[in-house]
Amino acid sequence: MDPGNSLDDIAPIAILMDELRSEDVQLRLNAIHRVNTIALALGPERARDELIPFLQDSVDDEDEVLLALAEELGRSFEDYVGGNKYAHVLLGPLENLSAVEETLVRDKATDSITKIAAVLSPQQIEAYYIPLLKRLSQGEWFTSRTSAAALYAPVYPKASPQIKEDMRKGFTALASDDTPMVRRAAAKWLGPFAQTLSKEHILADILPIYRKLSADDQDSVRLLTVQDLTTIAKQLEPPEVKEQLLTQLRQAVSDKSWRVRYMVANHFVDLAQAVGNDIVREELVGAFVQLLKDNEAEVRTAGAGQIPGFAKLVDREVILARILPCVRDLSQDTSQHVRASLANQISGLAPLLGRESTIEHLLPLFLHLLKDEFPEVRLNIISKLEQVNSVIGIDLLSQSLLPAIVELAEDKSWRVRQAIIEYIPLLATQLGKPFFDEQLGNLCLSWLGDNVYSIRESATVNLKKLTEVFGVEWSKTTIVPKVLAMGSHPNYLYRMTTVLAVTTMAPSLSIDVIRDVVLQTLLTLVSDPIPNIRFNVAKSLEVLATTFGSAAEGQIIVKERIIPAVQNLKNDPDADVRYFANRALEKALAVA
Amino acid sequence: MPSDLDLQIEQLIRCEPISEEQVKRLCLKAREILIEEGNVQVVDSPVTICGDIHGQFWDLMELFKVGGPCPSTSYLFMGDFVDRGFYSVETFLLLLAYKVRYPERITLIRGNHESRQITQVYGFYDECQRKYGSANVWRYCCEVFDYLALGAIVDGTVFCVHGGLSPNLTGIDQIRAIDRKQEVPHDGPMCDLLWSDPDDIQGWGLSPRGAGFLFGGDITKAFVHNNALSLIARAHQLAMEGYKLMFERTIVTVWSAPNYCYRCGNVASILELDENLAQEYKVFQHAPADVRSIPAKRPPAEYFL
Repeated sequence: MDPGNSLDDIAPIAILMDELRSEDVQLRLNAIHRVNTIALALGPERARDELIPFLQDSVDDEDEVLLALAEELGRSFEDYVGGNKYAHVLLGPLENLSAVEETLVRDKATDSITKIAAVLSPQQIEAYYIPLLKRLSQGEWFTSRTSAAALYAPVYPKASPQIKEDMRKGFTALASDDTPMVRRAAAKWLGPFAQTLSKEHILADILPIYRKLSADDQDSVRLLTVQDLTTIAKQLEPPEVKEQLLTQLRQAVSDKSWRVRYMVANHFVDLAQAVGNDIVREELVGAFVQLLKDNEAEVRTAGAGQIPGFAKLVDREVILARILPCVRDLSQDTSQHVRASLANQISGLAPLLGRESTIEHLLPLFLHLLKDEFPEVRLNIISKLEQVNSVIGIDLLSQSLLPAIVELAEDKSWRVRQAIIEYIPLLATQLGKPFFDEQLGNLCLSWLGDNVYSIRESATVNLKKLTEVFGVEWSKTTIVPKVLAMGSHPNYLYRMTTVLAVTTMAPSLSIDVIRDVVLQTLLTLVSDPIPNIRFNVAKSLEVLATTFGSAAEGQIIVKERIIPAVQNLKNDPDADVRYFANRALEKALAVA
Repeated sequence: MPSDLDLQIEQLIRCEPISEEQVKRLCLKAREILIEEGNVQVVDSPVTICGDIHGQFWDLMELFKVGGPCPSTSYLFMGDFVDRGFYSVETFLLLLAYKVRYPERITLIRGNHESRQITQVYGFYDECQRKYGSANVWRYCCEVFDYLALGAIVDGTVFCVHGGLSPNLTGIDQIRAIDRKQEVPHDGPMCDLLWSDPDDIQGWGLSPRGAGFLFGGDITKAFVHNNALSLIARAHQLAMEGYKLMFERTIVTVWSAPNYCYRCGNVASILELDENLAQEYKVFQHAPADVRSIPAKRPPAEYFL
């Protein structure tokens, strides 16, 4: 589009204005999302002189529209107003958006300002950004002051020393604001701001702010300072951390509000990595134990999630002496959520403890949790067994855990049974053929007769995967005869399993097995008294024809055996059987 | 090539409603099929019998996971597809689409909630208004309700009905004489079939529901004997264990809405009758939290407009 010689060059902005005044929110939203096209049509100069002032005045709209505007202005919109040297003109509308009532809009506006800050020159920052930051920081209504907190970090490194000093003062003022909302914003953005400061100023300015906020009387403020603590600690040397932050660290761990303790527990590994080994050993092991024994289940749940991560940071002896006793307690916790969280993480200790200790200390806990009354706990243990396997080896796993797994394979909850089935192919590769046949073979076949349809279906998929692991010959002797035997079950739902299994497994079987073994059973079921079986046989024959019809041997089977059977079904008294037989016949004739 | 109806079933099974025009056509076809059915529809075993669903769509999906998909498993639903749950529209339309696509594999009979009056109070009407912006879909569905069978009989010996018996009816043949194509009346035999409950009394009693009657073990056994039945299967009442056999196993209540109204804490069940009429009750729980979603607050999608 060439903006220079457009005849109706007044049109784009007129259209935008029209659409922005539309009654329909959707039209106004569409208009905002096209605002860059309109800017392009106008050209950089008119975009700056007409479009931006117009947008600056349109903050009186639905939040949804404002949110879209805040987002569009942050998408390299400076390209449409003349490049980086004019990027500052975008700050005007975004400043207004940073002061509106809806948090989502304000957050998006500060995001976009942050993006623009990256392309501003130091002169632009001094002339336009810093005044904006001052206006927002001293805004009358708390909304602009909360937005201001986010805007210090992006430009601090580019500012002159004098301005830097003002900025540190400005942020300090926000942290002492009367409204908790602003103090929360300061606590949230303290970490990112601290990352841009020199160590000298962290010690002189950031630490006092942090100490003040971490002692705030609102717990919603204090809980946000937990991550500040981590960020600040990362920028200090361990001795300085010990000297400057230890008191706050202890306070946070034993804060009277569980929400603060929850935050500590939930970010414990990060925190531990930031403060260095000495403090971990001297302070944090005790703190972690304390959190794992907290009165609130939420705190223990969060703590349990950090166990292997934290254990990596301490010596094996410490794990055994201090952490394991807590793990034992947690495995008996009254809250199912705590136990589920532990079950999800406990396997991570196995590589850290090594074979002997895993056998001695962890195995009994696995067995205990595998019998938990809450299905999610059992599921979490099963899904992480892989890690244990690599530490203690398959022999031992099979000796000690397999009985429990076999028990779970008959769990009352079918979703637990399903989780076990999904784990079987993996277990099969690890166990090897002889062992598998002995320990799990029968189990896999028994699922074919499960009373829940989904389990029977998963069982057939499992058998297909096992055929891929152990080969067609194995499948032919071990599995296929049992699958086909179900075809004479007195209940149609179980005869259906045979048809379903054949359909599922066929692509993994060889043409010989199909021709010599499978097809005979399937063709017997063509005359089953129940129509549901007959039309599923038709569907199955369709799959066999399309799977094997491309090979020469397959063509013979399709011509001589499948097509006659399907033609037979085409004249069935039942309409559904005729429908599926017709479909199968079409496919079979196409390949024959 | 999948037909339009197959595509609609695929869409409904994802719990996405079909367009108003599609509903209109589906309901017309359903009426053509249902008008041919008897008041007491004759059904062959094997069949899986289900009780109240009440718009709990994700729990209906759970039911199919346990019982097997339609049409491979044959189903008989004993009414109360709509009201109370969040997804009456999707639930009823899916079952109806199955009925039209596989009329021999699924039987739908009428429950007391399949009525204009009741659905205006218990949610289906409002749900149609909310999801389609008008009452048209509700109106099309209500016209289908009038054509639903009042009962079914499996292999001549298992009588299925939503509520129960009526003092005005001693034989199944008398039900066949009712003119069923109307709104559920406030009293009389048609009302009783959809509203009555078995109770531990002798003879007949007044129903606390204000419609239908209570009937005792003697009434039940006499009806079973006189009509050469082996079992009466009915729904209509919450059974905490999913099903409840009464009166020396002559009558069973089958309830298929787990955690009814998303808060009762009950399990649900289905009754599988195999080809020899052996009964197996399959108990199941409500769908797990991650799929049991409560609908998100969102602007109406375009296909509703």
